[in-house]
Amino acid sequence: MFSSIIQALLNGLVSGTILAVPAIGFTAIFAVLRYPNFAIGSLATIGAYAGWFANLRLGWPLEASFGLAFLGAGIATLAAEWLAVRPLEKSGALMMAICSLAVGIVLENMVRFAFGNEPRGFNVPLMRDIRFGDLRISPQQVENFAVALLLMALLWAALNLTRMGRAMRATADNADLARLKGVQPGTVAAITVMVGGGLAGIGGMLVALDTAADPLTGFRLILSVFAAAVLGGLGSIPGAVLGALIIGMVEELTVLLLAPNYRTAIGFAVILIVLTVRPSGLFGERAG
Amino acid sequence: MSILSIDGLAGGYASADHIVKGVSMSADAGEMVAIIGPNGAGKSTALKLAAGLLRCTAGRVSVGGADITAATPQSVLAAGFVLVPQERNVFAALNIAENLAMGAFTTPALMRQRREAVYARLPLLAQRRGALARTLSGGQRQLLAMGIALMAQPKVLALDEPTAGLSPMAAAELFATIRALAKDGVAVLMVEQNAIEALGACDRGYVLVDGRVVREGSAGGIMADEDIRRLFLGGRKAQHAVATR
Ligand SMILES: Nc1ncnc2c1ncn2[C@@H]1O[C@H](COP(=O)(O)OP(=O)(O)OP(=O)(O)O)[C@@H](O)[C@H]1O
Ligand SMILES: [Mg+2]
Repeated sequence: MFSSIIQALLNGLVSGTILAVPAIGFTAIFAVLRYPNFAIGSLATIGAYAGWFANLRLGWPLEASFGLAFLGAGIATLAAEWLAVRPLEKSGALMMAICSLAVGIVLENMVRFAFGNEPRGFNVPLMRDIRFGDLRISPQQVENFAVALLLMALLWAALNLTRMGRAMRATADNADLARLKGVQPGTVAAITVMVGGGLAGIGGMLVALDTAADPLTGFRLILSVFAAAVLGGLGSIPGAVLGALIIGMVEELTVLLLAPNYRTAIGFAVILIVLTVRPSGLFGERAG
Repeated sequence: MSILSIDGLAGGYASADHIVKGVSMSADAGEMVAIIGPNGAGKSTALKLAAGLLRCTAGRVSVGGADITAATPQSVLAAGFVLVPQERNVFAALNIAENLAMGAFTTPALMRQRREAVYARLPLLAQRRGALARTLSGGQRQLLAMGIALMAQPKVLALDEPTAGLSPMAAAELFATIRALAKDGVAVLMVEQNAIEALGACDRGYVLVDGRVVREGSAGGIMADEDIRRLFLGGRKAQHAVATR
């Protein structure tokens, strides 16, 4: 029992770190644009397929395929933002959120139309699991974990060490003052949407690498992503990371106790508890 | 010629565009000008119109001869007009050094130079440069807000209630800092709730009531005015008396 708990925690650490990537994207878009972009699931799916396309059809190595996953999902997010969501800006955050939900459905079906319904596996060599005593982890898991960590480090550097990153954080914190200080809100919004969507795309590809890409890859992710962001405090990047780690581990632990189908319930339960007990989440300042 | 001249400025918000109804003001380099008036008179709105945050429906604003009417906040800043807003005037989630960096768009070398100049003028900020702005006291925040503004090397500094919520001592210190700035040639435009204090510190003043300038002149002259005294000590009747004079 003890070793299976440790194994579950290890799996949760890996899946939570991977989950953190799209959760950061989701929370960053919320921080700057002030609405929850529920298309993030389908955008992750697009990333998974873009990565698969690069890897299988174009024969690119995985590293380069991540680039196409980022770009494909990022551009799709930007297009959806400009064509569908932005025109509703005056109608408020709720309308924008609902619109993003609709965009998500449209995108998912576009993926179905383009690639069909059957799962698409990546070209990854089959390798033996790495073992430490009773614990086991696949090399692919280790690699995905490393990619997620590297991405977070890059993002941290971009946000904290560059002028645009600072402008993004300033806009998220106080949009009016940022504008007064000469920050162009449109540019910051576009870059945030592009990067946020791109991260969702990479998240989708990371998940697909573990199993396969299918039209519901992102949909299965969306509840966990939302739960992680809400738990950490919507709009907080460190919060999204911590929230994702907790969600990842709790999901894996429940598999020990309950049938795997109940895994989905964790997201709902966490959202419900957080919204009741501490609506601002772990790192959020504002309530609600 | 005045470094700042505002002529017949009018405008307001998208939902209520008739707040400021034709305001004219000016300020010379090194001059301190007080803007006083009752709550809701449109003092903050007038400054936001001048700073390009709101769209004006009429009037002209120029700084050092450059027309900045309806300009973007960026060009207003570049022309040398810098506003410190009344509320939410620092980036709470950023540290002091980053807050200052938000005040200027320039090369890293110049940025460091300007930041050191601000630290020299406001030593309190230098002591806490790594601290997040949200951990600062009210007085420290006002200093930081002014520091951010100074990063842009303003010709005209517009301060919206810089001493609101400060202790008398902190307010006095802030006034001293502002006076030192003016001495260095910055034109200071200051909205203040405490009219007597503000007029005491400034050279000239404008009294704004219901979106219009109802009285202007030397600080001493305004302070000596019976109606004005009643306006700020008394209630609505006095406001009406001033407004209809
Ligand atoms: N964002 C806004 N949208 C619409 N109307 C506003 C907005 N902000 C202020 N107003 C209105 O504009 C008028 C002038 O407000 P303003 O803030 O300029 O007054 P003020 O003279 O600065 O007052 P105070 O001394 O309280 O700061 C008020 O009637 C106010 O209700
Ligand atoms: Mg005001």
